[in-house]
This record gives sequence, structure tokens and C-alpha cells, in this order.
Amino acid sequence: MLDDFGLSAFVITWLAAAVRLAGPLVLTALGEIFAERSGVLNVGIEGTILIGALAGYLITFETGSPWLGIVSAIAAGVFVNLFLAWMYVTVQANQVVVGIVFNIFALGAASYGYRIAMGQASSPELIPMFNPLDIPVLSDIPVLGPVLFSHSILLYLTIAAALVANYVLFRTRFGLNVRAVGENPYAAANAGISVSRIRYAGVLLSGAGAGAAGGYLVLAEIGLFRDTIVVGQGFIALGIVIFGRWKPVYALLAALAFGAADALQLSLQLFEFDAPPQLLLALPYLLTIIAVSGLIGRSAQPAALMQPYRP
Amino acid sequence: MRSIVVRRQSPTQSPWAIGAMTAGSVVLAFLVAAILFLPFESNPLQAYVSVFDASLGSWRGLAITLNRAAPLILIALGTCVAWRAGFGFLGFEGCVTLGAAATAWFALSALDEGIAGSIPVVLFFIIAIFISFITGGIWAGGMGLLRSRFGGNEVLISLMSNYVAALFVQYLVAGPMRAPGSLPQTPRFPIETWLPNLIPGTRGHIAIVIAVVASGLVWMLMSRMRLGYDFIATGINPRAARYGGINVRQKYVLAAFFAGGLGAMAGLVEVLGTQHRLLDGLSGGIGFIGIIVALLAKLNPLAVVPAAILYAALSVGGDALQRSTGAPSSIIFILQSLIVLFVMASDILRYYRFRSPFVNSGLTHHA
Repeated sequence: MLDDFGLSAFVITWLAAAVRLAGPLVLTALGEIFAERSGVLNVGIEGTILIGALAGYLITFETGSPWLGIVSAIAAGVFVNLFLAWMYVTVQANQVVVGIVFNIFALGAASYGYRIAMGQASSPELIPMFNPLDIPVLSDIPVLGPVLFSHSILLYLTIAAALVANYVLFRTRFGLNVRAVGENPYAAANAGISVSRIRYAGVLLSGAGAGAAGGYLVLAEIGLFRDTIVVGQGFIALGIVIFGRWKPVYALLAALAFGAADALQLSLQLFEFDAPPQLLLALPYLLTIIAVSGLIGRSAQPAALMQPYRP
Repeated sequence: MRSIVVRRQSPTQSPWAIGAMTAGSVVLAFLVAAILFLPFESNPLQAYVSVFDASLGSWRGLAITLNRAAPLILIALGTCVAWRAGFGFLGFEGCVTLGAAATAWFALSALDEGIAGSIPVVLFFIIAIFISFITGGIWAGGMGLLRSRFGGNEVLISLMSNYVAALFVQYLVAGPMRAPGSLPQTPRFPIETWLPNLIPGTRGHIAIVIAVVASGLVWMLMSRMRLGYDFIATGINPRAARYGGINVRQKYVLAAFFAGGLGAMAGLVEVLGTQHRLLDGLSGGIGFIGIIVALLAKLNPLAVVPAAILYAALSVGGDALQRSTGAPSSIIFILQSLIVLFVMASDILRYYRFRSPFVNSGLTHHA
């Protein structure tokens, strides 16, 4: 059994890891909310995260600047989602099919790109990362300090992004247009809104979010690239969007819950609890299944989700 | 001078146009992948020649290609059934893994001289197919139930289920079913439980026969039987199907059951035919490649067979090329996904037609 000191140490490492692991999930979910609110289910975010991670890694490796890395991760995410947006909106192909096939393409492309850029390197090269910052005064608060105020700058930017996304979606004309297009594209078109333009914007924002998440993974969590670093995080983000009822701030909270489930496994291993690690590793996926199973009530999804707009 | 490209009022239905667009998309994908070969092989044509020579040019290569095509066919057949019924199932990775685990459990019980040890070989295979089919069927059918009873989103449920199944099998091979030794895997199955050889002198086993028979059966189900008709009606328009007296909710569960069962059979041929033991990460992405194969075959159960052989040949040849020239096999992944992406994208061309800029055809539409 753990004594009081051990228990508090356990809780602190667990929660701090939960907050850290939630970062990429939040970023991905925020972007996806804009795509889904405009009526497009972008399953391709899983592959986009990987592309963003590769771009972030390679640019930081070349330049030594994690800032350039994160910017290029976002740019790469937007770039590949230009193609996805074209497939979803202009070609009007089945959104799930396009997303799934794109994820396989992205896996191949990222693996190929890494091989071309790095050669047949024997061991992966570490790159400079965003270091954790201790915020003065706040980080000295017991428990809360290490849990909330000793993270890399990317985490604080992520939280800020959630607040900005909430403002944009519910307090600006653009946000209103996005929601209108996702609920009833025909009515929105009659009101003078360009449905395709709004949906392109939604998909590109989801690309930016997923690309940033890839950069976050590499530049704030891992420090190197492998084509296995994104194991279902994009899919989990799809579950978070549903858990968060398509609202950015709720999605932030939902992502923290998922981060906690993910981190539990790490902390329990660290403190040598005797439980099969696979059971805990499965927790985030099981949570997502519960979220989307319909068992906890069907939350109102955008009415025109996955429906192509044919004027 | 008039514009050369004109938008049609409605997409063309001409089979010639659609066939030409599909062929063009495949060629374009091969051209793009040819560029990717350049850093490793100065002559991309030579790369393709070696890919197909390694996979189809010898009995040995052909045998490996057919071994690899068989599970793809089974998964693609599962995709045909589920997707035609409007059930967007993506959980084949999990079905493959669990089907393999169930088969492994049964095959290993032969090792302990349990139930399987005392029965004839033919009966063993029939029972093994039954067990794996039921395992995958219940796994996927449960997801069908979540959709039809509670309105769950089967796309996301089935995506997540893949990870749960993979972790469960990882637990099995690391714990309860682990063989003594340093690697997390089960003991090797007794040799009587291996799939019998088909092509003498090679590793080609009868999995391809099982898969082709399954393809015929699924074709019969979908085109010649009441149940298949109900599936397709449900997929095209569930409300109209319900009005026509079809129990739509039940059809989702049944379609999911068949899809899961077929996916699990892919796991069976993989463990009994190729691996001969259960190990972690056994499905290795074939659950998704199989879906792509089905898409290339336009969800037609018979067309699935040549499409799967093409994809298996590409991956077998790609592996061989990686060994000989160092060209990464990820190029083949890219090619396999690009083919389907381009075929889907070419759909937009159905809305356009070309006309000569000089000759007046006499017809002018103003949209």
C-alpha cells in the first residue's frame, strides 16, 4: 500500500501526465469541431497528425528551431487537407471512405518521406523540444502547481486556442455561418452563404488542428519520429468531439478525461501496480466506444453531417 | 472559339466512360509511384518489372502472392456485405485478430490432446472455421446491435474496436497463451492443423481455395438470395426498405455478423496457413487494405478476387524489391491507396464532357 506521501506523488504524476497527453487530443478535436459543424466528418485527421508530426520533426531537425517546426506542422496539415477538402466538398465522395484511404496513404507517405529525408539511419535522431516552463509563483502551489503550471508553452497555447475557437464558433459571423451550413446547407445558401467555401474552411481548420497536434506530439512529448507514434489519437479525437457535444470548451474537458485514462497506465506502471497494462491501455478506446455507442443518449450532431451539398 | 470542357446536366452513366476513367486512374497512380521509385531505381519500369516478376513470375512467387491474397479476399467480401447493407464497418483488423486468436486456441487444444486431437483433420478444419466465424460474427454483430438498438455510430465504434481487440490479443500472447521463451507468442501449432499444401514444392496452401469459394457464396448471397436483396435494399434506402416490410434493424446486425465472420476467417487462414502460431500485431494493416480492395472492386464479390490478387502481388513484389534495391515498401502502400483515391476522384469527370472547340455540334445548353 502507498502511504500518504506516495499517494500524493502518484496523483501528481498522474494528473500532470494527463494534462500533457491531452494536448494533441485537444488540438485535433478543436479543428475537427469546425469541420463537423460545417457538415464534414473528417476521418483523415489520423493521417494528418502523422504528416504534421513528420513535418515538425524534419524542419526542427534541419533548423534546430521547434517554433519553425510547429509552424510547418500546421502548414503541412493545412496543405494535405486541401486535397481532402477537394475530395469531400468538390468531388462529393463518401467522407468516411476518403478519410480511411487517406490515412493509409499518409502512413505510407510519412514513412517514405522520413526514409528519403533521413536515409537508412540506424537510430532515430533526437531533436530540440519545447521545454517545460515553470510559471513563477503559480508553479509553486502544491499539487496544482506541478499539475497545471509546469508545462511547455504549447500546452498553454492549446488552452488559449480552445477559448479562441469557442469565441469564433459562437460569437462571430464566420462561426454562425459554419453552424448554419452544418445544420441546413440549403437554407444557408439561400441566405447568401457559400456552402463550399465554408466547408473548405472547416476542413482546412481541422487540418491545421491535426497538423499542430502532430507537431505537439513530436516537439513536446517524444522528440523523435516513428511512423507508429499516432496510434488512433485522431480517432479518439473524433470520440472527444462527440463527448464534447461539438463545443470547444467541453471538448477541452473531455480531452482531459481521455488524457487521464491514458496517463493512468503510465503512472500505474511507474508505481508498480499489478494490473495487466493492456487493460489500462484499452481504456481510452473503450471510453470512446461508450461515447459513440448511443448508450448515454444521442447528443445532437450537426444535422447535415456527412451529407454532400448538391444545389 | 468555344470552351473545350462542358459541364453536363447529369453525370454520365456510360460504362465505357466509367471504365476508361477507372483505367486512367490506375495508370496515373502507377505513374506517381514510379516517381517515388526514382531515388532507388533509376528505371521505374524496371522496378515494376521486378515487382511483378517476383510476385507472379514464378510458382514460388505466385504461391506467396495467393497466400497473401486469400485473407484480403475474405476481408473484402466482409466489406461488400456490410457496406452494401449500409453498415459502415471498419473493424476488420479486430476481427482478423480475434478470429486468429480463437483458431489458435482451438488448434493448441489439439496439442494438449484435447477435443481437437481426437478428430479427423477435415472435421478439425470445419470446426475451426465455424469457431472463428462465430467469434468474429459475435464481435461485429454486437456493434451492429449497438447501432440498431441505440443508434450508435458504427464507423467510430468499429474503428475503436480494432485497438481493443489488438490489446486483448497482446494480453493473451504475453500472459495466458504464452509459450516458454523470450518472445510474446503462443507455441507452434501441431503440424496436422496447418492448412494443406496446394502447389507442390512451394508454400502455397489452400487458403486461396477457401477464399474463392467464399467469394462465390457471398456472390450467391448478395445476388441470388432473399437475404442479400434485403441487405442491398436496406443499404440503398432504409426507410423505403422498412416500408417494403424489411426488418431493417435486424439486417444491420446480420450484415455485421457476416462481415465479422468473414474477417475472422481471414485471421484463420493467416494463423493456420502462414504463421502457424498466434503473435502480436498479426493483422498488420490487412484489415484496411482489404477494405480498399473491396472499394476497387466496387463492392462486387466476384471482382474482389482479381483486385485482391493485384494488391497482394504489389505487396509481395514490393517486399522483394525492398530486399534487392532498398526501395522502401511504403511506396507500395502509397500506390495501393492512391489507386483508390484517384478512382474516387475521377468520379468528378462524369460531370464533364469534351467537345471540339471549332466544330459546332448544333446543341447548346444554358445551365
